[in-house]
Amino acid sequence: MRKIAKSVIAFACSLFLAIPLAGCSKTAEGVTEIEIVQYKPEAAAYFEKVEKAFNEQHKDIHLTIYSPNDAATVLKTRFIREDYPDIIGIGGDINYSYYVDAGILADISDYQGVKEINPAYLAIDEALKIVPVEGVYALPYAANAAGILYNKDLFDQYGWEIPTNWEELMSLCEEIQSDGVLPFYFGFKDIWTCLAPWNAMAVSLSDTDTAKQVNRGETTFSKAYRELAEKYIQILDYGPKNPFAYNYNDACTAFARQEAAMFTIGSYAIPQILSVNPDLNLDSFVLPASESSEGNVLNSGIDLQFYVTAECKNREAAYEVLDFLYQDENIQDYINEQTAIPCKSGEFEISPKLNSMKPYIEEGRMADFHDHYYPSEMAADALLQTYLIKKDTDQFLSNWDKIWPRYNRDIIRAMEKYEEEN
Amino acid sequence: MKNERKRTYLLITIPILALFICFNTVPLIKGVIYSFTNYKGFGNYDYIGIQNYIDLFTDARIGKSYLFTFKLAVVSTIVVNVLSLLLALALNSKIRAQGFFRAAYFLPNVLGALVVGYIFNYLFTYIVPAVADMMGAESLSTSILAKESTAWVGIMIVCAWQAIAMNTIIYISGLQTVPEDVYEAGALDGATGWKKFWKLTFPLIIPFFTINMVLCVKNFLMVFDQVMALTKGGPAQSTESISYLIYNNGMSGGQFGFQSANAVMFFVLIVVVSVFQMKISSKKEEQL
Repeated sequence: MRKIAKSVIAFACSLFLAIPLAGCSKTAEGVTEIEIVQYKPEAAAYFEKVEKAFNEQHKDIHLTIYSPNDAATVLKTRFIREDYPDIIGIGGDINYSYYVDAGILADISDYQGVKEINPAYLAIDEALKIVPVEGVYALPYAANAAGILYNKDLFDQYGWEIPTNWEELMSLCEEIQSDGVLPFYFGFKDIWTCLAPWNAMAVSLSDTDTAKQVNRGETTFSKAYRELAEKYIQILDYGPKNPFAYNYNDACTAFARQEAAMFTIGSYAIPQILSVNPDLNLDSFVLPASESSEGNVLNSGIDLQFYVTAECKNREAAYEVLDFLYQDENIQDYINEQTAIPCKSGEFEISPKLNSMKPYIEEGRMADFHDHYYPSEMAADALLQTYLIKKDTDQFLSNWDKIWPRYNRDIIRAMEKYEEEN
Repeated sequence: MKNERKRTYLLITIPILALFICFNTVPLIKGVIYSFTNYKGFGNYDYIGIQNYIDLFTDARIGKSYLFTFKLAVVSTIVVNVLSLLLALALNSKIRAQGFFRAAYFLPNVLGALVVGYIFNYLFTYIVPAVADMMGAESLSTSILAKESTAWVGIMIVCAWQAIAMNTIIYISGLQTVPEDVYEAGALDGATGWKKFWKLTFPLIIPFFTINMVLCVKNFLMVFDQVMALTKGGPAQSTESISYLIYNNGMSGGQFGFQSANAVMFFVLIVVVSVFQMKISSKKEEQL
């Protein structure tokens, strides 16, 4: 009997021992493991290629790149376990702000590649920090631009012209409608798509740092966003009968099948649209939300950037991986596949589908996505969807002002503390 | 010898107990601790007392999600139990191809909730409106998932469609425990049709009714997959269930601490509801 009892206890103990052991994986001697988790599953094929090429050329470093769905959540569950990948690839959004604030990322200002990045994008990253922190924590890779994609064949066929201000856009929609074509397609069932036109219009109608101004108590959203909100619901009249019935995929498919003349979405949608209809002759223009053509600004933000984590054991190996990722031909491959804009300075060939946006990029007339400053748990996208359904501007804006301080309590506190100390 | 045996039994339970504590109790306690912090899920955090719990009661979005979840749970439970009891009665009677029908009606339970959700999503968005258009039914000509007032019905239908399978099986097994002689005796006293069901069958299958009610309410209160596949909480945040909110804001968003508080409150609520249900229905059980 005693024997049985002993073995039972031994079994129970071994269970406990087995759990932490399962976390460690064996690596061959002398080879450094570098793990990247990046958040764009649509670019998984590209990263598989990079991973393979890198491992063929490097004997002393083994690279693994994961491209999971919903990587922000995957990463968070790993952070809770204090299990950090060596390099993280996500966009320049509020998660990046949080990571810097939490001290998860390493300062990479000593990395040579930082100098080769377009300063405009480094400035965007600087602005996204909750409070100014010394150092460079992110290496921008590719940017996207949001505006209006349009069907060039339809535009040529009916002789429609590209609008340069809000009035022209509205009259263009009227014209398209009277020609019996649907001006816009929307996929507002997926709430995040409600943010695409909102962001694209916001850059021309209010300051990029509106959120920070509100946090400092200098303005309110009711003031800063009123014109934007009023204009936003106007475009709804030119969309499908019930835009809340269709999701992003439906909208991309419908636009690809020429069911609508325009689609208010970012450049990131182009690969998916073309996968439905490779022959579609599409082009893009900046959403002219301003009353004058000079007032229009291109909405462009960092779609993908890489961070080395503070926990990364072998910084040199990580830099070597970054060197490889940021080689000109790899970046060119990426922007070709994803119809993206490179963040690295130098001669790159940008897709002709983004031609109309090129002057804005070259002049630096661009501003970051406003939603990069909204905490995701506030669900600004769902608030926008509610607004588009109810169309009550006052209620929408006052509600936004009301809930903002609650979701940004910690950020506001951090900013106040910083102001006090400096 | 007797004591020795007792000790062996005790030792057998230890690994299970250890696993249970490791994967259930410890996370639960950790969750309660996190609920008093402003933890984002990573980085530093501070203890903020009962601030999260105060916020819970003043947050309109949380209130709305509780209302939605309870509305869905109550309606789905009624729909599922009525329909599955009817189905069980039909499938328990001597009909042709009984085995085939039983298998067919059990099929929804085998499928994953997400898969079912995506199929129904397609039905609601394209097929139902197209059919409604052909028949001239104006109210159904746009997707019911796109309207704030009807989206929950869509979720309810999918929940019910899937849950009916399991409940029907439980009811069938219940009906088979009712001995034939009870009906014979009842028939002598003139119990037929509705009376036979209400006075004889139903009281005897109340234990199964209890199980079904508790399972249903618990499952529907924790509705997640269907919301994820059908509406993702929309339109206009009208279908954000409690579990969805906990996952979405606690994991993807930065409200780990706050949503832990929500989870703690939700846990207490489910325990209360389950105990209450057990108490009520155990009083009504009949023994032969």
